[in-house]
Amino acid sequence: MEARIPSIACIGVIGRHNNPLHISLFPAIGPNSTQEPRDKLAFTFMLNSSLDIFEARMPSKTSQDFGLLHALDERIALYGWLTNTGVKLVIVVDMEGRIAPTPEAAKIGVLGLRGGDLLPAFNALQTAYVRLLQNPFYVPDDHDPKLVRGHRALEIQSPKFIREVERTGQAWYPGIVTI
Amino acid sequence: MASSKAARIGEDVWKSRTEKINTEIVTLTYGTIVSSLCRDLLLPNTTSSTDYAAVNAELDRMGYNIGLRLVEDFLAKSNTGACQNLRETAEVISKTGFKIFLNITPIVSGWSSDGKSFGLVFEENPLADFVELPDDGRSQEELWYSNILCGVLRGALEMVQMQVDVRFVSDVLRGNDTTEMRVTLLKYIEDEMPPDDE
Repeated sequence: MEARIPSIACIGVIGRHNNPLHISLFPAIGPNSTQEPRDKLAFTFMLNSSLDIFEARMPSKTSQDFGLLHALDERIALYGWLTNTGVKLVIVVDMEGRIAPTPEAAKIGVLGLRGGDLLPAFNALQTAYVRLLQNPFYVPDDHDPKLVRGHRALEIQSPKFIREVERTGQAWYPGIVTI
Repeated sequence: MASSKAARIGEDVWKSRTEKINTEIVTLTYGTIVSSLCRDLLLPNTTSSTDYAAVNAELDRMGYNIGLRLVEDFLAKSNTGACQNLRETAEVISKTGFKIFLNITPIVSGWSSDGKSFGLVFEENPLADFVELPDDGRSQEELWYSNILCGVLRGALEMVQMQVDVRFVSDVLRGNDTTEMRVTLLKYIEDEMPPDDE
């Protein structure tokens, strides 16, 4: 039984009106290093239910980092970050998502995650989102379900942003300083 | 050496005699201009297909108007005399002109065999920071995002009696390796007398 360390299972970007802007899934590494794909629908429901926690904690929370939103079971935990503009970044961590590459890393897996461990990931996501907004051809109103009429994709299409999110999700491990 | 003198003048003026502005304001403003044009200039009989050729032409026209006025400011700030030949002109444009206004120095390269045409290779383009061309399949082939710069050069050089053709030949936003602009001298404009009335 190899030692396992936490890895990111899913990254969700949700807009001000609780509309999903982007969802990225990262497969778990099963025994014998096979990749197990994630169930998109299940994770969409998970992200949806996490929105209630944002609303419940909103009045009292003053900082942006919501930290641990909810620990679903022994394996899955959700962490959240709210930007000042109302955009929510949610990271779902799978506690046994990856096989530990070295024995030192395995020890981290045993200890569990600390609150600040996901900060680099949230910072990288926020930077990617800011870069996306600086693209003049990205119109945030186009992704707002209340303003958009007709059938248009409501999710973010920009390849650069999606690539950044995927890179962040794959590169993260507990204890990483910058992504 | 002509090129190092141009570089020195450019550096001096940039450091001492220009007002600076935040680069993000410039990038965002220019981006708004281009995306507004893309939304407004549509192909006839369609509701949302941008006419990229018209956008390029409009950016060139806007640049032309800017260039006519900008060249006076440039000559006043840099105090360079008349250039003797096209090579000197190219050096002054790249080392002094672009340096003063955008703080970049494109590299002059690709001289044609008759010496009437050269290329300017841009290592960095502050107008196009963080830009991704829209994903409608045609913009990558048809839109030259920084086309306003072509108009600026055309207008500026026309005010110093040179008629040039300036166009982009490659752009990193389109996926090419470099951003390169090709400047071709068509003719020196002689002052002409207005046609006689008789």
